[in-house]
Amino acid sequence: MQSAVKSSKNSEKSDKGNEKVTNSSKLNVSVNKSLIKDLFTDESSSDEIVIDPVPESIIKTLESRLDHMCVKKSEDGGGPSCNTASVPGIVTQRSCVYGGARVVLMPITDAIHLVHGPIGCASCTWDIRGSRTSGEDLYKTGFSTNLEEKDIVFGGEKKLADTITELNNLYKPAAIFVYSTCVVGLIGDDLKAVCREAEKITKCRVIPVQSEGFRSFNKSLGHQLACDAMLDYLIGTGELDGKLKSEINAQPTLNIVGEFNVAGDLWAIKPLIEKMGVNVLSVLTGDSCVEDIANAHYADLNIVQCQKSSNYLARQMEEKYGIHYLKVNFFGIEDTAKSLKIISEFFQNPKMIEKADEIIKTEIANVRSEISHYKKRLAGKGVAVYVGGNKAWSLIRAFEELGMNVIMTGTQNGLPEDYERIMETVSEGTLVVDDANSMELSRLLQKYQPDLVISGAKEKYMTHKLGIPFCDFNHDRIASFAGFKGFINFAKELNRAVSSPVWKFTPKKYHGIVKNE
Amino acid sequence: MSCANVIKKERTSVINPLVTCQPMGAMYAVSGIRRGLPLVHGSQGCSTFVRYSFSRHFREPSEIAVTSLHEDAAVFGGRKNLISGIENLAIRFKPNLIGAISTCSSEIIGDDMEGFIKVAKEDLKKRMGEKEAEKVKIVPISTPSFVETHFKGYDNAIKALVDNLAEDPSESNEKVNIIPGMVNPGDVREIKHMLGLMGVEGIILTDISDPFDSPLRPSTTETKPFYPKGGTTVEEICDTSNSRGTISLCGYAGSGAVSLEKKYDVPAAVGSIPIGVKNTDQFLRNLKKFTGLEIPDTILDERGLLIDSMADLVSRYLFGRKVAIYGDPAITSGIARFVCELGMIPSIVCTGVESPEFVDEMKKVAKESDGAVDVLIRSDLRDLETHLQENPVDLMIGHSDGRLFAKALDVPLIRVGFPVYDRVGYHRVPIVGYNGGISLIDRITNAVFEKYYDHEHWKLQQ
Repeated sequence: MQSAVKSSKNSEKSDKGNEKVTNSSKLNVSVNKSLIKDLFTDESSSDEIVIDPVPESIIKTLESRLDHMCVKKSEDGGGPSCNTASVPGIVTQRSCVYGGARVVLMPITDAIHLVHGPIGCASCTWDIRGSRTSGEDLYKTGFSTNLEEKDIVFGGEKKLADTITELNNLYKPAAIFVYSTCVVGLIGDDLKAVCREAEKITKCRVIPVQSEGFRSFNKSLGHQLACDAMLDYLIGTGELDGKLKSEINAQPTLNIVGEFNVAGDLWAIKPLIEKMGVNVLSVLTGDSCVEDIANAHYADLNIVQCQKSSNYLARQMEEKYGIHYLKVNFFGIEDTAKSLKIISEFFQNPKMIEKADEIIKTEIANVRSEISHYKKRLAGKGVAVYVGGNKAWSLIRAFEELGMNVIMTGTQNGLPEDYERIMETVSEGTLVVDDANSMELSRLLQKYQPDLVISGAKEKYMTHKLGIPFCDFNHDRIASFAGFKGFINFAKELNRAVSSPVWKFTPKKYHGIVKNE
Repeated sequence: MSCANVIKKERTSVINPLVTCQPMGAMYAVSGIRRGLPLVHGSQGCSTFVRYSFSRHFREPSEIAVTSLHEDAAVFGGRKNLISGIENLAIRFKPNLIGAISTCSSEIIGDDMEGFIKVAKEDLKKRMGEKEAEKVKIVPISTPSFVETHFKGYDNAIKALVDNLAEDPSESNEKVNIIPGMVNPGDVREIKHMLGLMGVEGIILTDISDPFDSPLRPSTTETKPFYPKGGTTVEEICDTSNSRGTISLCGYAGSGAVSLEKKYDVPAAVGSIPIGVKNTDQFLRNLKKFTGLEIPDTILDERGLLIDSMADLVSRYLFGRKVAIYGDPAITSGIARFVCELGMIPSIVCTGVESPEFVDEMKKVAKESDGAVDVLIRSDLRDLETHLQENPVDLMIGHSDGRLFAKALDVPLIRVGFPVYDRVGYHRVPIVGYNGGISLIDRITNAVFEKYYDHEHWKLQQ
C-alpha cells in the first residue's frame, strides 16, 4: 500500500471554477457488488429495483477536487488526494484546529475548559460533544474570557490571568484547560506564560492548549495539540495512592485511548474488559477525571479506539513510558471480538484468554439472535458514510455484518494513513471521497442513491431533503453503538432510519407532485 | 408601580454564555435572502459551528461558505482567499447575493474587504461575462467578533444590505419594510399574516421563514445547487427605498431603518417586538400610520380571541406568579411586557447584552408590573442561575440552554427564542402577534397546570 495515497504536497491548481466530470481512466471499473435492494423490505412489491452500477464518471466538481475522489479498484488501488487546504468559498464540512483540540479534551469531566477568545468560540461549542459522564459534570459548563476590542488592542493576558483565578475560586476544579483561539494567535498573548503564573497562584493545574483555529486546514492538528497538552502537563504527574497501588498490583491494567464516551459508548466497552480480569486505569478522555489521566503512565497497555485522534498519543506514551499499544475497534461484532482477543493475548494469561473466548462466544450468540430481525430489513441496502475521522473505515465491517454494502465512504480531515486504512478495508467499487463539500455531497448522494447516510448534524437535514434516510454517528447520537450491546442499538437505529414509512412519501427519483425546480 | 433594579455582571469571565459573536447574526440575516449565501471570511470553525447551531435549532440544512483562512493568511493577509472564495462561490452556486462576512481574524489582520470585493467583481466579469457577473451582488458586512454580540451582527448585516442595494427612489411601491429581528420562521409567517389581513405588502428584511423551514421537495437535477425556497429577493431589497416606511420589530436592529430614513426619507419606526397585546397594537398602529389603511375587523377578531383566552386563564392560574425571562433582548422585553399583561410578575429579566435601550424598556415594563423587576444586563446563565437560587420564581421563559438549571431548581421552563434544540416544532409556532400571544399563553398555562395543579383533578377551573 505504500505511496498508494497521494498526500499533502499536491501541486496547487488554480480552481477556475469549472465544474468538470471526473472521467479518468482509473475509474473505468464496473462494480461487482450486488446492488439489488429491497429484497426484504417491501413484501407487497414484486418488482426488483435495480440500481445502476457505479458509473465511470463520478460527479461534476472543481478540477482541483477531482483527485479527492476515487473508486476502489483492486487490492492495490490508490486512495484519494488528502490533507490539503479546502478550496475557499466552498461550503466545507470541516471544522477548525480549536474545534479539534476541544473534542479531544472536552470529555474530561472534572476540569474547566476555558476558551480564551471572543465569545463566539465558546458559545458555539459549549456542551455539544455528546460525551456522557457518570459523575462530575463541570465539563458541560461553557467558559470564556470574552475578549473584546480593548483586549485585542492591549492584549488579553491580564484578563486571562484574572479569569483563571476567578474561576478557580468559584469552582475549585481539578484542572483548567485554556484553549487559544484565532485572535489569541494574532494578538500574540503568551498563553504558556500566563498559565504557568496562574498555576503558581491558584495551585490548580492550568494547562495551555495552543489551538489557534487557523493553524491548519486540518483539525487533526487540533487533536494532536490536545494530546500534547495531556502529554506535557498531565500524564506522568500523578502519584499513586494506596488504593490505586493495590489495584494495580492485583490485576493487569490498561488505558482506553481515544474513547470519548459519546452516548455512553465507553460503558459498553469497559465491562467487557473488566470481565476478562483487566483493570481500566484511565480513559483518555471519555468520562474521565484529571487524576486518572495523570496516572495513565502506570498502565501495562494502551488500547486505541479512535485512531484518528489518538494514535499519536499512544505512540508518544510508548516512546516516553514504554507502554505498548494495540489498535482496537469496538464497532461491529467481529471487530469487538477481535479486539478483546488481542487484549487477552497481549497479557499471555491462559485464564484470561479462556475468559475472553467465553465472553465472545456468549455475547456473539446473544447479539446474533437479537439482530436477526433487523438484519432481514437491512440486508442489501447501500450505505454512504461521511464522517470526521476513523469511522470512515471502522464501521465498514459492522455494516457488512448486517448484510449492507458501503457504497461510499469518506472523511473531512483524513490523513494519508487514514486513507490507507480505508482503502484496505473497503471492497471493490466503493467510492472514497476526501473533504467533500456540501454541493459535492448532495451531488454524490443524488447520483449514487444510497439507502442510508451515516454522518453528523450538518449533513443530516440535507440528506433528508434528498429523500434519503439518515443515522447520526456523531455528537448528537443518543444511543451507544459500541461493543456487543451497542451493536444491537446500532442495528435498531439503522432499521428505524431505513424502514420508516416516511420514505414511501419521498421517492428518491422525483416525479409528479413532488417535482420542484 | 414598582422599580427596575439594574444588575450588571461583576465577574470577568463569562460562564454559560447567553450571546455569541457578531458573524452569526450576519449569517442569519443573509440566510433569509433568496439564493443568498453567506461567505464567512475567517477560519473554518467560524462557519461550521454556526451551521451546526442553525441545523440543530431549525432542523434544516444551512449553507454557509467560508474562505478557510490559515496560517499563511494570518501573515500575508486573506486577499487571495476572499477573492478566490467569491469566485468559486459565484461560479459554482450562481447565487443572487453573497454576503461577505468578516470575523475577528480578518478584522485583526486588517483585510480590506471592500477593495478585495472590487477586484473579485472585475475577475468575475472576465470569467462569467459582464451580464452574468452583474447578477451576483456582493455585499461586504463588517462583523468583528470581539465587538458586541450576534445581535449587533444582525443589525450590521441588515444595514449593509440596504446601504449597498437600495436604489435611488423612484415611484412609491406602497409597501412597508419590516425588520423582524432574530425570530423564528413561525414569527415571520405571523407577521406576514397580519400584513395580509391589513392588505399591506411587506418587504421582510430578511425573510428566513421559508429558508429555515422548507419543504422536502428537492431539486430535480443532480447538478443544480440546492437552494431552499423563499427568502427576500435582491430586487425587493433594492426596492426598499420606495417603501412607505420601515418598521423594525426590535430595538437592536434599527440601523437599516434609520439609514433608509436618512438617505431616502423612508420614515422609520424602531419599536418593540409585537409580543402581547399592547406591542401588537402598536405594530398595527405603525402600519396604519405608514399606509393610511384601516385596521380590519378580522384583525380585531384575532385580538378578541387573545383577550378572550386571557380572560379565561389569567386571573385564576397566572396572576401573581413570578417569572424569570432570559435570552434575546428584544424577545425578553416583549415577553416581560406580555407577562405583565397576564398579571404575572417578570421578577427577573436577563440578557447577555448591555444596551441602554433595553434598560429603558425594562424601566417602562417595571412600571406596569405588580412587583419589583431585577434586570440583569451583560449577563450570563450562571449569573441567572445564582440569582434564581436566592430569588425563586414559579416559571422560566427562555431557550434550551437554561434547561439544566431549570431542572435543578425544579422550575418549569417554557421554551422560546434561539436556540431550542431539545424540543421540536417551536421554531414553527409564533410568539408574535395576537395569534402568537394565544399560543404562548396556552403554553405558559399548560406548564402551570403540569407543575402546580393536581394531576388527578378534573376540574381545573375550580
